[in-house]
Amino acid sequence: MLKIDPIWQPDIQQANFRLLLDAMSYPGRCFNFHEVQNEGKASLSVLATLLDAEVTLSDPYNLLRADDWPMLQSKSVSADIADYILCDASQLPIFSPKLGTLADPEQSATLILMVDNLGQGEQTLKLFGPGIKDTESLTVDGINSAWLSKRNEWVCSFPLGVDMMLVDDQHVAALPRTTKLEEV
Amino acid sequence: MIQRSAWVSALKAIPTNNLLSLTEKISEDWTLRPKSVPQSGLGMMKLKDSALNEAFYLGEFPLASAWLEVITPDGHKTEGAAQVLDDRVEVAEALALCDAVLSSQLPGWEQVYKMVEQGIDINKKTNRERKMMLARTRVDFTLLDNVGNDNAED
Repeated sequence: MLKIDPIWQPDIQQANFRLLLDAMSYPGRCFNFHEVQNEGKASLSVLATLLDAEVTLSDPYNLLRADDWPMLQSKSVSADIADYILCDASQLPIFSPKLGTLADPEQSATLILMVDNLGQGEQTLKLFGPGIKDTESLTVDGINSAWLSKRNEWVCSFPLGVDMMLVDDQHVAALPRTTKLEEV
Repeated sequence: MIQRSAWVSALKAIPTNNLLSLTEKISEDWTLRPKSVPQSGLGMMKLKDSALNEAFYLGEFPLASAWLEVITPDGHKTEGAAQVLDDRVEVAEALALCDAVLSSQLPGWEQVYKMVEQGIDINKKTNRERKMMLARTRVDFTLLDNVGNDNAED
């Protein structure tokens, strides 16, 4: 009777969760989403896969529609205490995410950065670290360089830090806190 | 008009097939959109013990919920929601639709309202039967007290 978009269906969410695990295992590699919402972006597929009522979300750039919130079930909080933060990569970072503690480094934020293009674009990032054999290069369009310098600050005291996921309309690439990056 | 809070329990008493076929019929040309993901699962019933006043889980119960938006062909928009002791999402969806139909008096609301009245009658009958069964099983402990005293004297 009720038609629900595939991104809210358990089987698609499980497949997308597997895809996000792969993305975190192979930093900088672009992965194609199984399903994205017709008029939406892949960022909503990431959120639909990862979020439930147990975690908190911040949307400091007002990227979500009012209708998306009840579907996600997460509580809206300010960015400095949020478990997940949805960001517009073309703008400047306007918050300080939680970085976890030495006892609980997992109590840190995961940032979902919406970019224009992944796998093609004018900016190239050179990545190295765990999960990358030698180096990986990621081309991207629509990311403000301030995010990359801020990220370097946030992840400089391992195991504290943040994990990032870059998403465009169809793809996702992950930048775990262990990945080192340079702008080429 | 019967109170809104009584609609779900009354409609739950109606045979599920009747309820589903009615909701399917009246919503044939409507657009239904979920406002939250319809879900079914187990709820945990939490109680406090009377001695230490500490919380404990008495047990689990099936719970299904739905919240949807209805758009009729003439553009009328309304919402309905339901939370029900059942493990079938489609039942919660049908009840949420009935909630929207009755609260906004959408076309077909009279048929749904009739079902609510039938459900209330069924619930009343069930409650009467349960009360009778309870009355039959009631034990008069005063007689046992007398027996106990007699034994003690012996």
